[in-house]
Amino acid sequence: MSMLEISGLKKLFGGLVVTDNLDLSVAEGELHALIGPNGAGKTTLIAQISGSLAPDDGRIVFAGHEITRWPAYRRAQLGLSRSFQITSIFPSFTVLDNVALAIQARSGSSFRFWQPVKAESALYEAALEILARTGLDALGENPAAALGHGEHRQLELALALATQPKLLLLDEPMAGLGAEDSQRMVELIERLKSQYAILLVEHDMDAVFRLADRISVLMSGRIIASGSGEAIRSNAEVKLAYLGEEEIA
Amino acid sequence: MTMPTGYSRGLAYWPLALLALALLLPQLLGMFGFDFYVSFATRIMIMALLASSLNLLVGTGGMVSLGHAAFFGAGAYTVAILAREWGGTPATSALLSWPLAMLVGALLAAFIGAICLRTKGVYFIMSTLAFAQMLFYVFLSLKSYGGDDGMSLTQRSTLPGIDLGADVVFYYVVLALFAVALLLLGRLDRARFGKVLRGIKDNELRMESLGFAVFRFKLVAFILAGAMAGLAGALMGNLNNFVSPNMMHWEQSGVVLVMVILGGLGRLWGGLAGAAAMLLLEEILPNFLPHWQILLGVILLAVVFFAPRGLAGIFRA
Repeated sequence: MSMLEISGLKKLFGGLVVTDNLDLSVAEGELHALIGPNGAGKTTLIAQISGSLAPDDGRIVFAGHEITRWPAYRRAQLGLSRSFQITSIFPSFTVLDNVALAIQARSGSSFRFWQPVKAESALYEAALEILARTGLDALGENPAAALGHGEHRQLELALALATQPKLLLLDEPMAGLGAEDSQRMVELIERLKSQYAILLVEHDMDAVFRLADRISVLMSGRIIASGSGEAIRSNAEVKLAYLGEEEIA
Repeated sequence: MTMPTGYSRGLAYWPLALLALALLLPQLLGMFGFDFYVSFATRIMIMALLASSLNLLVGTGGMVSLGHAAFFGAGAYTVAILAREWGGTPATSALLSWPLAMLVGALLAAFIGAICLRTKGVYFIMSTLAFAQMLFYVFLSLKSYGGDDGMSLTQRSTLPGIDLGADVVFYYVVLALFAVALLLLGRLDRARFGKVLRGIKDNELRMESLGFAVFRFKLVAFILAGAMAGLAGALMGNLNNFVSPNMMHWEQSGVVLVMVILGGLGRLWGGLAGAAAMLLLEEILPNFLPHWQILLGVILLAVVFFAPRGLAGIFRA
């Protein structure tokens, strides 16, 4: 069964077609990677899936609901969780409070004015568990602003995980990471595989071929090829259009 | 693991000490024959209430409103108009007119907020300013309620068994209300709602993508702040037995904003620290300097540069 089903999606900026009659699906438990050269329309597509940009035409169905016109927060409440290419966290909160705030988003009403959050042990236990899963357990009390870049990327992912997602939309989780941090992130995502449906947008080809169950290639707003890693590697059109600029292993 | 408290033990008692001082203040002032300053202290607390309500928006929620005086003035006029139209009836009871002033502040904030909160940054600042100025001109032209001359009240609101006309009694009533307001604000800040507001201030886009209906949280904060400002207005109208359109002029909004920044953005005691510092400086400086506003400006600059967390922030590690 499809967790995410996009059909006939279309977006124009003036005369420029940035999303061109695009179909894409992510099955339950599947890791579907989306690759494509700069300007292919990846960012615009993510914006439309997550709800910050309205498509001109087409449908987005997520977890059995048509969410094409839903605001971003309602999609998140339904279990569509995203990470950001440029780290987007709460710098003035501690690492632990960052995650606790994210958990708060999907555990009951936040229109509570009297009871201190610190007294909600369930919230903090869940937050500690997320920190342990993302390798941040030693840094809980640190101000989020004081973390290094690699740790920021981990926190970025921790926030996405904290909302009990059904689908993770990971926007270039390896962006700006060195070899060692990159390796750690790949292992982290490997552990998340099969627990969540994941749509991974990534430039790091090694990571993509290692992680993905299925790869789709985006080019000028449309999917030009879709299939297993092997199929994509040997696809002549893909080689010509995209992978030619980078020799793949 | 241990949860961070953010407070060191030694500092936990100073609010109680401050409260004790506030309780004894009228007697202390009386002993030295400074009875006039009881009303001055009342004024500080009312402005502190107003500044604290604005601090909830600006300091906690990141909503820089330059129209907060609108709710202040609306609350004041609510009490004054009730007294003018239905003087001598239960309408002048504080039990009725003060909650009504809060309701008017809340409704006005719901209306203004529902529109302005759809904008961000400079546009939010300018649209809140615009609404407050509109209200200012409405009351400026309302001749039946004094127009630009304002309107005098014949007496303060009434309370059963308590004579609000006595300055010392009125002082204690304001003190009680301000203490309760501060308690509520402190609880709110540490509760889920406060965390959400601080999250919105830090990173609104991320809050949205986590599933928080950001607009609703902002609007509720705006309404709460409006109600609190409405109460402050009702109290100020009572203190002076006078209301005027100037209470909702943008200059008034600006003064309150300066108080918040001076006292400490997002700090529970910031409103009080800022209001007390500003009013005391305004009271003291003219005795020494004819052009005292210059010195006030220098002091403000010094705080911004050397104590960016405000006066209330100086006392925190």
